Amino acid sequence: MPEIRFKDIVKQYGYVTVLEDLNLKVSDGEFLVLLGPSGCGKTTLLNMLAGLVEVTAGEITIGGKDVTDLDPKDRGLAMVFQSYALYPTKTVEGNLKFGLAAQKLPKAEMMKRVNWAADLLQIQPLMKRKPAELSGGQRQRVAIGRALVKNVEVFLFDEPLSNLDAKLRTEMRLEIKKLHNELQKTIVYVTHDQVEAMTMATSIAIMNQGVIQQFGSPDDVYENPANLFVAKFIGAPPMNIIAATVAIKGKKILATHAASGVSMDLSKYDFAHKPADGAKVYVGMRPEHFAIGSDIAGKEAASFDLPVLYAEKPGSDGNAYLNSGDEQIAVRIDSAMVKDLQGANASLKIAFPHDKFSVFDAQTESRI
Amino acid sequence: MANIDISEREFKHYPPKKKKIKGSSIITFIFLAMIALAVLVPLYVIIVTSFKTLDQITLGRIFDLPTTWTFEGWNKAWSEVCSGMTCNGVKAGFFTSIKILIPSIAISVGLASITGYALALWKIKWAGSFLFVLFICAFVPFQVIMIPLVLITAKLGIYGTFWAVAIVHGVLSMPFLTLIFRNFYKDIPPELINAALMDSGSFWRIFGEIVLPMSGNIIIVVLILVITGVWNDFLIGLTFGGFGAQPMTVILANTVITGTGAVRYNVDMAAALLTALPPLIVYFALGKFFVQGISAGAIKG
Amino acid sequence: MAIRYSWMSPRLALIPAMVITAVAFVGAIGWTIYISFTKSRRFPNYDIYWENFWRQYKRLFNDPNWETSINNLIFMTIGSALAILFGFILAVLVNKEKTGEGVFRTIYLYPLAVSFIVAGIVWRWMFNPVLGIENFLIELGFENASFNWLAHKDTAMWGVIIAIVWHGMGFYLALMLAGLKSINDEIWNAAKLDGISPWKFYTEIVIPMLKFTFLTCAILLSLGVVKTYDIVLAMTGGGPGTSSWTPAYFVVNAYATRGNMGYASSAAFMMLLITFAIFLPLVLLTRWQTKRKEKEAV
Repeated sequence: MPEIRFKDIVKQYGYVTVLEDLNLKVSDGEFLVLLGPSGCGKTTLLNMLAGLVEVTAGEITIGGKDVTDLDPKDRGLAMVFQSYALYPTKTVEGNLKFGLAAQKLPKAEMMKRVNWAADLLQIQPLMKRKPAELSGGQRQRVAIGRALVKNVEVFLFDEPLSNLDAKLRTEMRLEIKKLHNELQKTIVYVTHDQVEAMTMATSIAIMNQGVIQQFGSPDDVYENPANLFVAKFIGAPPMNIIAATVAIKGKKILATHAASGVSMDLSKYDFAHKPADGAKVYVGMRPEHFAIGSDIAGKEAASFDLPVLYAEKPGSDGNAYLNSGDEQIAVRIDSAMVKDLQGANASLKIAFPHDKFSVFDAQTESRI
Repeated sequence: MANIDISEREFKHYPPKKKKIKGSSIITFIFLAMIALAVLVPLYVIIVTSFKTLDQITLGRIFDLPTTWTFEGWNKAWSEVCSGMTCNGVKAGFFTSIKILIPSIAISVGLASITGYALALWKIKWAGSFLFVLFICAFVPFQVIMIPLVLITAKLGIYGTFWAVAIVHGVLSMPFLTLIFRNFYKDIPPELINAALMDSGSFWRIFGEIVLPMSGNIIIVVLILVITGVWNDFLIGLTFGGFGAQPMTVILANTVITGTGAVRYNVDMAAALLTALPPLIVYFALGKFFVQGISAGAIKG
Repeated sequence: MAIRYSWMSPRLALIPAMVITAVAFVGAIGWTIYISFTKSRRFPNYDIYWENFWRQYKRLFNDPNWETSINNLIFMTIGSALAILFGFILAVLVNKEKTGEGVFRTIYLYPLAVSFIVAGIVWRWMFNPVLGIENFLIELGFENASFNWLAHKDTAMWGVIIAIVWHGMGFYLALMLAGLKSINDEIWNAAKLDGISPWKFYTEIVIPMLKFTFLTCAILLSLGVVKTYDIVLAMTGGGPGTSSWTPAYFVVNAYATRGNMGYASSAAFMMLLITFAIFLPLVLLTRWQTKRKEKEAV
């Protein structure tokens, strides 16, 4: 079964080390998303798996077999490219068949697979057209079809939706997810779009500066970010991070935000290791976890009463940005409230529950 | 887990992978190298021959190095060989070529850049049609318009002077160079020109203050095309230079091809090399732009 | 006021170019055609020869030298097409290996910086039967080696073609290399993953994708061949006899050596027609290409 392993992978371009001692395991049937800002090494990693970029050191195995020095075509995988990379001189049908013909597949088998993929992706009516005559979404389907007909166990996607408009992107996202559910093949998917990652992945590897910052399920990386980078990268608006100082009072562990003077009760936080008295930490709070106005029960771990800087309504929900001295705190609010808060001198009472904090060491920026 | 910036990361050396150097790679490389050597053969032959003594040349063995290196051929070529009745070497042609080159550059670059600028960035309804005409003119062979141009320059009283040669060069290269400039200026973002239009609105000021300072690269490309083109031209110089303004190529042809008397191959080769040297120097010094010039020359709409 | 000023200036700036186009190109072409129907000989004579209107053209089509020139034109076009073929093959190899790309390109391209006169002189020297390559080959032991091509009617044009291929190969290589590099990297990668053999990839994908580049090269080459004059003069002087004449050579000869303006003009007009015959497909192709691009953009 094709379990993919990266072992101690190093990649250097000239004297720049892009990836260093990277380890990652992708289980069979998993939908792994490599997520990160541009230049984080995610595409390099994918290309190394595909065999398009050579590794400097380390080992890649697929299903226990060492493929590190294997030709791309011998690795048993298929890839969908960012620009689709369809062969412009061939029809849709020709594109689907070209790779199979190179494998010297019997005609009947070839036709069976091509028809199967064409039906699955609903591109049957386009078979005689050239790529230049297709829309972006149609090209995308053909590109996926060309990967599907190869009948391999591992599929690679390199930012496949980045050239589509917002509406098509949502559609294709669902489609790809559906394909994964139906076929149960392993998928490694590279993107910089966190929405794609959160909605499609069964597990996410968040990368920055060539290092995997966190590897886990979408829920896991969202609720329990391993470090400050992940906390800030995931979520829109991202997690609120405020600098605070720990004060231990008997059984209680408090963190005081210097600028606003608010103290947060972290006693119920599940510390991996307890901080010392006076330790500097960052406290993270998701915007949607705040209780507002009448929802405040009074038993929350921290409560704030802060002036509103501005409020906006990007969709069904609204966001309010509050001024807390040196930083801003974003709060998810009901869209009906946006109008009221847009006036001058508005302020908002909010409270944060005990079980939703994330706490990071100020020095290492890792979760504690 | 700390985030060290990639550029600050300590560099560790890893043993280079045992790269399977493919046999096909080696064969390809050897093939390319052999073709390169073959392409270099004429240059090699011209250089070694120009340094040989006439005695060694008459032994044959065209590829041998000179047994004694001598500048005799070079000296004679530069200042003694005869073109028709005069025997001043290719030196005279060298200076005539330079005299032709300078006004040619001024005329063709000035004319083509301004025309290209006006056509690319100003709304002129018939610009498209005019461009099309220029496009066709760029491919009209010189011989087709040669005789009328001779008659015109004769009427103007400049036939047989370097001015005639220079002006004809400027005129003939105008359509092609205009297209190059126009293609380059077309890619200047229109917002920039619109902003400039609001600020000053003057055709010449926008050209001088915004467009020209952005044209560095394309001007070098065009300069290379003009310098090599004018320097390497033979027929225009022959036709319009008369006896008084023969450029270097014409002098060379007169000495080597139609020259009478004993053939001195070392002198011939030295004269040829002297004539080829200026454009070759330009080429090897500015090869990158030369390639750009070629791509610019390939028609792009 | 400012607006009027900027309306005028661009139009004023275009006047020199328009005058040149009108006089030196359009006018001069008309003038040449006109002269071909007049009684002009060494000096222009603007009386049209009504009694024998097509005189120069009749003469031209009966002139064996013109026939030779046209035959040579066709022969040279086919022969010099080798430059495109070699250029493409070298471009593919250079692009594939990457090692030494810059050096190879510089070397392959340098002949283009050398004038045809100089190129012709060097090649003529190498074709020299007594002291050139033939002699070298004989000394190497190839007793029957014959490299004295320029001295024989049947082989002289081959000699010229070799020099033309040497001179132009780098140019086509540079164009082809630019074409190859314009192909999206991901397509090469897709082919690698699909395990497409190089032969199939080039014949079925790359060459069809570069068809416009190939056509451009072919047309530029034929236009270049029509104008071929200097190199023939330098290598063979049109000889042996008149066996290596080209249309361009014919025109210059008719004008400068024979001193017949009318005759030269009629041949020049034929050159123009040949040029347009080659040129027309290019224009149509460019139109078609832009239309297709517009369609793609929609």
